[in-house]
Amino acid sequence: MNPDLDLTLRRVIRAPREIVWNAWTKPSTLEQWWTPAPTRSRVDTLDVRPGGGFVTRMSEDGRTFVPHTDAIFIVVEEQSRLVFTNAIDSAWRPATPAPVLMTAEIMFDDHADGTDYHVIVRHGDPAARTRHEKLGFFDGWGSVTEALAGLAEAEASR
Amino acid sequence: MAQYPAALDGVFAALSDPTRRAVVQRLGHGPASVRELAEPFAITLPSFMKHIHTLEASGLIRTRKSGRVRTCVLDQDQLSLVDDWLAGQRDLWQARTDRLERLVTNPKEASQ
Repeated sequence: MNPDLDLTLRRVIRAPREIVWNAWTKPSTLEQWWTPAPTRSRVDTLDVRPGGGFVTRMSEDGRTFVPHTDAIFIVVEEQSRLVFTNAIDSAWRPATPAPVLMTAEIMFDDHADGTDYHVIVRHGDPAARTRHEKLGFFDGWGSVTEALAGLAEAEASR
Repeated sequence: MAQYPAALDGVFAALSDPTRRAVVQRLGHGPASVRELAEPFAITLPSFMKHIHTLEASGLIRTRKSGRVRTCVLDQDQLSLVDDWLAGQRDLWQARTDRLERLVTNPKEASQ
């Protein structure tokens, strides 16, 4: 774990593991919780197997849907573990997603009260993108850190 | 909290351009007029104004027109959103888990 880049979340959900797993892996249920209301989510692809696509769109007004998630599953263990990343898109093309590269690991375990639900999200390093940008590969928000440092320095030197 | 990721997306999108980042950096030293800000760039004023509008829409800067001069000011609070990006991702996953939990523990409520 890298505390600057990773986040973990653990919770006991009072429902059987099978139900929680299904809520994750069926398009009709995933659509109900993947994005917050009033935003609407639409699942284009949910191919729950290693290498399978995970593609969703979202809409502010319920009419126009814009790209949201474009990722692939890298590990799928039935009712136990899901790992997906947006570093490679659903067409298996190396990707530079906004706002950041990440790998999400979702773990489902039995618990006396239901399901022990555990999420670890590992994020790419924004500073690494700054280096890429300097090399001319990527014109993204990687240099945000640099901009912030510049601002902080400007403030400090007043 | 639901608004938070959207605001962050806007800020990241606004900062995804080198011209706009340079403007933000320049405004870190204090307010400046659009004309002053545009000076270092070899682009037309209308093109530059598009960048100013994008920055303004993201909330990163505010502008004020006085006579023929439009002055831009940096909004430090909005910029601090970037600093808190990991906190933003955490909020997103927590809210997401709240919704998942609601759905699986009370399907009727969640489907409404």
